[in-house]
Amino acid sequence: MAHHLGPMQTLPSPMRRFTENDPVDYCIVGVGSAGGVLTQRLARAGFRVVALEAGPFWDTEKDWVSDERGSHELYWNDLRITGGTHPLALGENNSGKGVGGGSVHWAAFTPRFHPSDFRIYTEDGVGTDWPISYGDLKPYYELLEREIPVAGPAWFPWGDPHGHPYGPHPLGGVGDVLVRGCTNLGIRSVAGGPVAILSASHGDRPHCIYRGFCLQGCKVGAKASTLITHVPDAISHGAEIRAHAMAFRVSVREDGRVDGVMYFDREGKEHFQRARAVIVSGYAIETPRLLFNSACPGHRHGLANSSGTLGKYLMAQAGNVVAGRFEELIRLYKAPPAHALSEEFYETDPRRGFARGFAIQTVGPLPVGFAKHMVAAMGAWGWGMRRVMMDYNHWATLGVLGEILPWEDNRIELAEEKDQYGLPVAKVTFNLHDNDKKLIEFGKNKVIEVMFAAGAKQVVQEPRFAHLVGAARMGSDPSTSVVDKFGRTHDIPNLFVCDGSILPTQGSANPGLTIQALAARTADYLIKQGNAIFYSNRRDMDEPGIRYDLSPPYTRFKGNPRIA
Amino acid sequence: MTKKSFPFLVTGGELKQYEQPGYYAGYSTMSQKKSWDEATQKVVTDRVEKVPSIRFFSQEEAALLGAVIARVMPQDDRSEERTIPILPVLDERLYKNSLNGFRYEDMPPDREAYRLAIKAIEEMTQERFGRSFTDLTVHRQELILKSLHDGRPEPSHAVWQTMPVHRFWAMLMEDCVTAYYSHPWAWDEIGFGGPAYPRGYMRLENGLAEPWEKEERRYEWNAPADSLSSEQEKDAPPEYSSLHGHGGSH
Repeated sequence: MAHHLGPMQTLPSPMRRFTENDPVDYCIVGVGSAGGVLTQRLARAGFRVVALEAGPFWDTEKDWVSDERGSHELYWNDLRITGGTHPLALGENNSGKGVGGGSVHWAAFTPRFHPSDFRIYTEDGVGTDWPISYGDLKPYYELLEREIPVAGPAWFPWGDPHGHPYGPHPLGGVGDVLVRGCTNLGIRSVAGGPVAILSASHGDRPHCIYRGFCLQGCKVGAKASTLITHVPDAISHGAEIRAHAMAFRVSVREDGRVDGVMYFDREGKEHFQRARAVIVSGYAIETPRLLFNSACPGHRHGLANSSGTLGKYLMAQAGNVVAGRFEELIRLYKAPPAHALSEEFYETDPRRGFARGFAIQTVGPLPVGFAKHMVAAMGAWGWGMRRVMMDYNHWATLGVLGEILPWEDNRIELAEEKDQYGLPVAKVTFNLHDNDKKLIEFGKNKVIEVMFAAGAKQVVQEPRFAHLVGAARMGSDPSTSVVDKFGRTHDIPNLFVCDGSILPTQGSANPGLTIQALAARTADYLIKQGNAIFYSNRRDMDEPGIRYDLSPPYTRFKGNPRIA
Repeated sequence: MTKKSFPFLVTGGELKQYEQPGYYAGYSTMSQKKSWDEATQKVVTDRVEKVPSIRFFSQEEAALLGAVIARVMPQDDRSEERTIPILPVLDERLYKNSLNGFRYEDMPPDREAYRLAIKAIEEMTQERFGRSFTDLTVHRQELILKSLHDGRPEPSHAVWQTMPVHRFWAMLMEDCVTAYYSHPWAWDEIGFGGPAYPRGYMRLENGLAEPWEKEERRYEWNAPADSLSSEQEKDAPPEYSSLHGHGGSH
């Protein structure tokens, strides 16, 4: 039977297979937002690529369901230890497992970072500056917005104002609440995106049907995940995706270069895939964990960790959920959870007494998710829980998405406990600092104000966090960062990191689009460098120049509108 | 016919009898099953028809935890044959040691946490009321549970010195609501549309019902008059400030 990637698209077959002893050009660890794009680009450019994925290779018709509890396997459910003053919830909150990674269950909001995000140290004296500017990334934002593609308003007024290639989605009940509340307070808002969900059919992907199960994996194929946007093209161009392959060590040769990746297969059997270069794309927890677990003579504290910054400067965004009860019906389960937002409070405003800002976004928890919110937000239990849930259709939910700064003490380390393979699990430590607390307090109160302004009779809120980035940050100074501006580790010339972990700061934008844009840029760099990556230790820091001929089918030259 | 009596009632009447709980009389998500995709049909149908047997908890543990669950996720207004299984779902999770991807550094593993809590609840009850939790009146069961909910176990117990009570409470509640609100009978109760692929929705705004959904028909719904769990808190108790949401909303 055909392997389905959405109702219309099938997995190209047969997929090329490489043998382990025959060195491939690139072994990529993790096929998520970054790994999917990288694999596709490098395969199209003619490199021999094997991508290892710890989870399954999803067949969307067989494996995915329109059901919350039935979607548990989409997440990274293996043990991790979480602590600190404000411990992060992991699992379904922020980590994926399986081809497509987190892009399988992201809500698919795709705002760009603002130009100011790349220089917050210069502007506000907080965090750090990026080694690149918004201008370096802008063409890649535009390119990926076409490839994914992104639906949204023709005019997005914040940061670097821009339009979107696909038209905005119709407004749902929660989006209406956001627009109404913001408008009553004189706050600008946009609706219908930007979101990586199709508002019109695109190639062999149907348009959205507004069923609301975005976070459970989009069976429709309307929401973008690299599983359906980039992986099929990667396979058509000769890449191998090896699922159920849990990498546990990047192997280092005596000359200080890496020569492959050791991994466990589904049965727990050890393998070694030889490669001329390795790219780790395991996201903010598994990437540092793999590099720590690869420690060896010469790299006693983990690979690429001569600076001691590996695992540090981990970031999550403030993700408080504010729920409002309305007299009228909302039916918040309809329409994509991600479909209206405001970035009016994104930038630093000195009058507020803290640096940086936050966005206001729609969220759309389904019944189990909403009931969990009510446990934390109201302390609901017993008959009180039954009562509040009987009013499920009267509630609307908005999210704060707030910038938490990079702090050295927020970090990934190895715990003493081991997982099912006998590998030390990750320990995640997260503490809020003064600026973060002030920002969260302000952001939370502002969203509560919006909710009341929209007409809510009762408003409750729940503190939480969303997304994970950092922990292998990029920078120009090898003594304070893990990788350079192209994702190449400062310590090992043929070892790269490319995923959310290289972000030095995070803004108040959902990170998915930025991660994919960075991956396309790193791919252009690697392609331009050609074979030099595989033997030379010279580090060329020139920008590669963007390639417009490597996009998946149907996505070339579909323009990004610029109305003004 | 709704079941169970309310031995703790001191005021008010009994729960009214309704065709099904909630404001959407006659609504049935399962009646729409034919419009769902095959994989979803199977998952949801199995949930209704194949209730796993108890394999992780001992008989005594299951009896006590079952009594706890009957109060933290009460279903006295549901008929016996329309009671949504919760303990079997939790038991299966622990039997398979299926995790949610993390453990707080100050918490024991999930399996141990439940065993410790069951022991603590029974010993607290013996100390306070001189009998087993399962033999208590509903009111006294609620007194014990409310003290855990409030983060002030009454009486205190050594287990809560080492295991933060609010974290255990959150895990218990999340396991309970996951089992209850993933069941199609609960979707009927709250008017949730249920699975919607490949059909989708067409009326997104103003809370409008799809042709196959039911309009809301509100009436005055009251929990049993003197239940301790019925009050609507304005906001969570202060202990919850360190309790963060676990769901993946955005």
